[in-house]
Parts: sequence; structure tokens; C-alpha cells
Amino acid sequence: MSEVDKKLEGMGKQMVGEIDRGEGPTFESTLRTRSNTIFDEAVGCLRTGDKKEQRKFLSMAQARTFMQTVAIAAKTKQFLRENLHTSIRGLFYQLKFTLGEDIDEDLFTEQSESNALVEDLEVALKIKREDLNLTTDRKGFVAGPMTILDRFGGDDTLIDLEQQGRSGWSIPSDVDNGMTIKKLDADYVLVVEKDALWQRLNEDKFWKKENCLLITPKGQSTRGTRRLLRKLADKKLPIYCLMDCDAWGWYIYWTIKTGSMNLAYLGRDFAVPESKFLGVTMSDIKEFSFLEKLTIRAKEVDVKRAEELMSYPWINRHPDWVRELKLVLKTKKKLEQDALQGQRLTFVGEYIKNKIEKKEWLT
Amino acid sequence: MAEEDMFRQFKEHSVAEFFKKNRQMLGFSGKVRSLTMIVHEFVTNSLDACEEAGIVPEISVQAEELGEDHYRLTVSDNGPGIPKSHLGKALGQMLAGTKFHRYLQQRGQQGIGASACVMFSYLTTGQPAKAVSCHKGRKVTANISIDFKTNKPNVEALGDEATEERGLMVTAEYKDVRYERSNYGVYEYLRRTALANPHCSITLIEPNKERAVFPRSVEANPKRPFEIKPHPLGITTHDLLEFAKHNKENRKITAFLQNSFSRVSAAKVEELRALTPDVNLDKDPADLDWNEAEKLVKAFQQVKWIAPSMDSLVPIGKEQVEASFRSIFNPEVLVVTERSPKVYRGGIPFMVEAGIAYGGGLVGADKKGEVMRFSNRVPLLFDSGGCAITETVKTLDWGRYDVKNFEDEPIAVLVNLVSVHVPYTSAGKQAISPEDDVMEEIRLAVMEASRGVQRYLSGKRKAHDIATKKKVIGRYVSQLAGDLATLSGEKKDRIEKKLAKIIEDRYSGPEGGDDEEPAGDETGNGKPEAGSDSDGGEGE
Repeated sequence: MSEVDKKLEGMGKQMVGEIDRGEGPTFESTLRTRSNTIFDEAVGCLRTGDKKEQRKFLSMAQARTFMQTVAIAAKTKQFLRENLHTSIRGLFYQLKFTLGEDIDEDLFTEQSESNALVEDLEVALKIKREDLNLTTDRKGFVAGPMTILDRFGGDDTLIDLEQQGRSGWSIPSDVDNGMTIKKLDADYVLVVEKDALWQRLNEDKFWKKENCLLITPKGQSTRGTRRLLRKLADKKLPIYCLMDCDAWGWYIYWTIKTGSMNLAYLGRDFAVPESKFLGVTMSDIKEFSFLEKLTIRAKEVDVKRAEELMSYPWINRHPDWVRELKLVLKTKKKLEQDALQGQRLTFVGEYIKNKIEKKEWLT
Repeated sequence: MAEEDMFRQFKEHSVAEFFKKNRQMLGFSGKVRSLTMIVHEFVTNSLDACEEAGIVPEISVQAEELGEDHYRLTVSDNGPGIPKSHLGKALGQMLAGTKFHRYLQQRGQQGIGASACVMFSYLTTGQPAKAVSCHKGRKVTANISIDFKTNKPNVEALGDEATEERGLMVTAEYKDVRYERSNYGVYEYLRRTALANPHCSITLIEPNKERAVFPRSVEANPKRPFEIKPHPLGITTHDLLEFAKHNKENRKITAFLQNSFSRVSAAKVEELRALTPDVNLDKDPADLDWNEAEKLVKAFQQVKWIAPSMDSLVPIGKEQVEASFRSIFNPEVLVVTERSPKVYRGGIPFMVEAGIAYGGGLVGADKKGEVMRFSNRVPLLFDSGGCAITETVKTLDWGRYDVKNFEDEPIAVLVNLVSVHVPYTSAGKQAISPEDDVMEEIRLAVMEASRGVQRYLSGKRKAHDIATKKKVIGRYVSQLAGDLATLSGEKKDRIEKKLAKIIEDRYSGPEGGDDEEPAGDETGNGKPEAGSDSDGGEGE
């Protein structure tokens, strides 16, 4: 019996025990609110605090969600036993049935109901949804000197990430179960926010010239991408990020670095505190004067985000970040990573090499 | 044309014209309202006559449709009847101001008199009214109309015979009136009359031949109100002059004051004399002018009086209101309050009764947010907008009494204002004016009744909530038990039975589930553990 299996069984036994004592069954989970999110300074990631919340079956307000949470737990136990994976949507359809012939009510009616409850279960049992054989959509891509052994659907497949042509290897939702890194020769990892830039650098064979892994999360990173980055950082590879200099770019970077509040309960497993922000930055304009003309007026959301970031203790402890954000607030300008192609298409590669060589990054 | 003819025509014309021009003032405004007013006149006359004669009233009203806006109305009672010699005077002569002298809590305060109805009938149809009066063994039948020339009744005797029966029946035709089953119609008027007069039995035969019976719910007549002299604090300048004008017995103002008003002693007269040095209190009351009367009334306010006697007020009574409400609406909840007598304007005694009925028969009667107004037991159906009772009831914060939406719930509020002098807003006498003292009493009476209703409603809601909880949570038991069996490896049946038992124990009876929700946390000690424990042992 696996660790996860035992946790699911334990949850059931605890509730049956309560029923045997004549009590209404309960279920304890960690509170997932902003106020219960703390920054772990030693590690450099967000974690959930100690505040617990108790769900009760014998409560008008909670009875339905209580029953639904247990139904999800029981259903995933079955997935594990059968060794089959499905998406949260697949799970939803597995659980979308009527409660009984004489009951005019479905176990689930909306997928949104099941999403939050899966998170509850993850927090309560201190596991990841991937451990419950629940998959999420893939989005990120990689190319570079790495070989992976993928044990899936009864077959073992060896995947060489140098042989993925123009499209790259698509990062699966679960990089922990049934996936092992067989060979890894890269010197560092480069994460670029946008797919367009990734394709540009892939065409230049940047990863080959630089002997690095080239990754794009295509915007916000999926759980799979973040787990992969964590594993690569564990292999002592430096992680460099190239994002837009705007609200989204910063947000994507900080999610990679410290984890998000939403997944704070997973702590360091989903955070890469070692990652570094190469650019683009407002300070780049001083060095590369052509960028000056390529700035865009910062929007309300960018200004707000910059102010918000400066208020987070885990960000304002970095003087270089404070300086950068202050510059944005002062100039009210922003800069996209695509602007680096403004002068010459191949400039972006030089820019990156230059930055890494001179150790010009924000931490 | 001869001069006399012209004069006669003019006179005839003028009475008719006067009536037509002043119809509104007399209450004959609107077709539905006119018919209700006519019924009101005859029914109150019947009630007063029966009560005065010590007879428990039994009244029957029949409306027949003869054409468009044309009806025949018959009202009959089991009262003492009217002697032949008085028939004309009672039904065929317009009398003015006769009721003014009677300082008595009476229904007739609203009245324009049955004679006005007979006149209305004659003016709109040209037909006389037919009266059948059984009085002291004689049954007299007569046609009655009004001679406009002389304002004298025309009595055309049709029969006079011996009888065992007793009572009065008046039949007359009316045009320009309409029968309607609305809140302003005859049906509602009679239903409310029955509500406020539980000692009477009323039968109504509607134009469609449907018969509605409002049975009597108490067997005895109420105590008769007795006449009292007015208290000086309740007197206006106009009142004082009217009293002085009608005074015949007293030669001096000093005597007139002592004999016409209550609580006025010789000593008090001397106090008044000191306060009004330029009014000669020894002259004939008839010589009192407006200026002097005004000074006297002002002086009334400065003297310290013994409070007026409250004996003159006769309420419907708590038990009586309850009995009639039950017999007419059979509500689910009924709370009636009776306040002790108070005075307004410093000297006019009054008293407020309030009853609130909720649910039950009110649902069937489609009564929602109904305010039933009465003054001295007479239903007030019109001009509700400007009435102190409506105002007070509608502005009450009903949410505090668990009545979420007053206008939309099956609730009826009855308010009866009892007084020798009801403060009406206008001559129409259908709305109570917003006197502060009166409004405050109405508010307190209604609030008191509301609290009783709230106690019931909140108890009911709680019981309902617990039942709902049991039902809602109960429907998840089977699914939850199945999933717990999957997780724990235990048997589903066993888990389900125990869980069902826990829910049954916790949510049985109104006090059962009480301990759980308000605290919002699992206490685990408020329920009968012993029972479920032993049951658990059996299940093993």
C-alpha cells in the first residue's frame, strides 16, 4: 500500500471512528487564506501557517461539500488501485450522478465545485493532486541536453530533448511519478516567458551554443513546469528567467521563485528560491539606448502591481528589486522582452550571454 | 306660471340640488362606496336599536341587481321595530345635529342617517322606500318618501295587522351604486362589522344569490356605554359655544359650566373667574361670544383638573375579539391585546384594542398585510392613506417580529379605537387623525400583539429549520457512508445505520438540534450519547 493510499484510508478510518463514538464526522484542513500564508525566510518560499479549519458533516452549510470531499477521496482511491489517470474534469464526470432515485439532487453539478475540494483534500492529506492520479493541462516546453525515461501506459520511452525539432518537449502535468532524468549535461536553465521568444532562440540553437536547457512556461507556469524547475535546481543548475518588465512578467517570476499563495501548502516543492531575474529591466535602457524608444506606457495594473510587490516582505528585502520597481513607478513605463529583437533578431542571445557573464540580474 | 308654483319648484329644486352638491360630504362618493355607506346606515341603526332594547342582534342584508348600477337593498333585523307614529320621522326626515348633545361612545358618530339613504333612493329612482315594522304585536307596512317642499316624511300606509314577530325591514331601490367584492364593498364591510361585533349574527345575500353567514361568536350583548358629560380639557371654543347655544336650564354661565361638564366644581369655577377677569361669568350662557369662549377654553388648560372618568369606554374585549376572529378567519396564530384607557388632548378618554392574526384561514381568504381599522366597532374602509392606524401599522419595523414582508404575508392587524369623541381627519369620518397620544397607544398595542405573534413564528421557524436540516443532511447519508466504506474498508450498512441514528437523535424535537448551530462548533456533549452508545454496542 502506497503512502497516499494509507493517508486516504486513515481519513476514512478517522471519520468512521467518530461515527462509532456517536459523533458527527469531521475533517480538518489548513486554512488557505492570505492571512494564513507566511514567508519561510530560511528556505525562501511561501508556506501556509498553522491555522486549521474544521469541516463538519452535521452542518447545513457544510454537509454537501463534506460529502463531496469524501466522494472525491473515495474516487481517487479507486483511480490509484486501477492505476488510471484522469483530469479534474474527468473526475467531475465520474462523480456527476444523482444521489438517489428519490433525491432530486446530483452529487456534483458544476466542475467548479470539485476543483476547490480537490485542493482541500491536497491540503488536508499533505499530498499533491498528481499523487491522486489527477492530471492537469500541459503548457510548458523544453529543449536542450537532457534525456528522460518516461514510464507510461505500460511502456518505457527514452526521450532525448535535443531531438525535439522546432516544437520542443511538452512538459507533462506530473514529472514525479513514472518519470526519471536519465542524462543531464546542461550548465544552466533559461526560462523565457513567451513561446515566441523560445522559438526564436530555438531556431538559433541557443541551447546548443550555450549548453543550457531552454524552457518556456508560456505565461504563468503550470504545476508540472514548476516541479521540473525545482528538480533541475536540485541538480544544482542555475535557473535564469527572462520575462517582460511588467505586472505579468514579475508575477510569473515570483511564482516560480517563492511559490504562489494558492499552492503555499506545498511549500518548497513548488518554489525555486534560487532562480534569478535576468530581465528585462528598466535599467537596461541605460545600457541599450535603442530600448528607450521601445518602451510602453505602464498601465494602471502595472503600477498597482509594482506597489503591491514592494509591500511584500519577501520582495522588499531585496534592494535591487526595490530600486527596479521604484524606477518603474517613477517613469511609468514598461518594456516587453520582444523589444530585445528590435535592433537585430539575434541580439537577444547576446543580451542573455552578456547578462549571465556580468552577473547582471535581480535576485 | 303662478308665483307659488315657481317658489315650490325652487324649493323642491334646492333640496335636491343641495343633496347632489353635497353628496361627497355626506359620504355618497363613488358607486361602491355609496352602497357600502347605505348598508352601514341601516346596519348601525339596527345594531343600536337591538342593543338599546337588550336584544342580541340578528341582521340580514340582501342586495339584488336590477340593472346597470341599479340595485334593490333590503336590511332587516330582529330589533324592537319602530312604532307606527315614529316611522316617518325615523326614515323620512333629515335631522341635523341631534346627536351632538349625546356625549356617548356610539356608532352613529359616522352617520348621515337612514333618512338620507331614503332620500338618495328617492332622488335616483323616484321610488319610495318600503318599511315593514313589527313593534309590540303590530306589523305595519308603509311606503316612505320625503316631501322636498317641507322636508316632511310622506308615509303611505299599506297595512297594519297583529303579529307575533318583531323587527324592522327596510327595502329600497338605488341607482348610481355598485356591488363589488372588493375591500371597499358591502361584503368586506359586513365581515368586519361581524369581527368587531361578535355578539351579532349577520347574513348577506349577494346579487349572485350567494349567501354569506357571519355567525355570532358570543351570546350576550356588550355592556351599554353610558353617557358622560364632557371634560373641560377636551373642549374646543366651537364646542363650548354650541353647548352654550343649546343650553336651556342654566341662567348663568357659572351654573352652565358646572352642570354641562364633568369635574367642574364651584371652586374650579372661581379659579376660572380669576383667570378670565374680563369675562362676566354671571351672564346668560346664550350671550357668550367667540372671544369670551376662547378665553375660557384657554383658562381650561391652566386649571388642574381631576382626570375624566373612564367608565364610559366599552371595548369589544379580548375574548370577544379572539372568538370572532376565530369564527371568521380561523387563523393559525392570533394575539389580541387590550390597553388600559388613556386621554388625548389632555381630556378626551380613549382606548385602543389590537389583534393580530396570522396564517390559517387568512391564506384562503387571500388576506395579505391587511390593516382592519375600526372606531367604536365600526369598520373604516375608506381613506386609509391618511389614517393614524394605517400609518402606525405600516411603519412598524415588522422584521423585528419575524414578519419579513408585511405586505406579502398572510397577516391581518385589527385596531379598534374606542372613544366618546373619535378624532377623525374629516367630515367623511373614515380616517383617524394623527394625534400623538393616540398614535403612541396604537403603536404600543400593535407592538404588544406583534411580540406574541413573533414568539409563535420564531418557534415555528426553528422547528421548521431543524426539520429542514434533518432532511437536507439526511439525503447525503447513503452516499457518504458508501464512500467512507471505500476509504476505510468497513461495511457500508453499519456506517450508514449509525450515521442515520446520530442524525435522528440530534434533530428530533424542537429542542433537539438547538445546541448545534448557534455555537457553530462541534460540542459533542449536548446530545444523548447514552442512547447512541448502547445502540452502537448492539450493532457490533
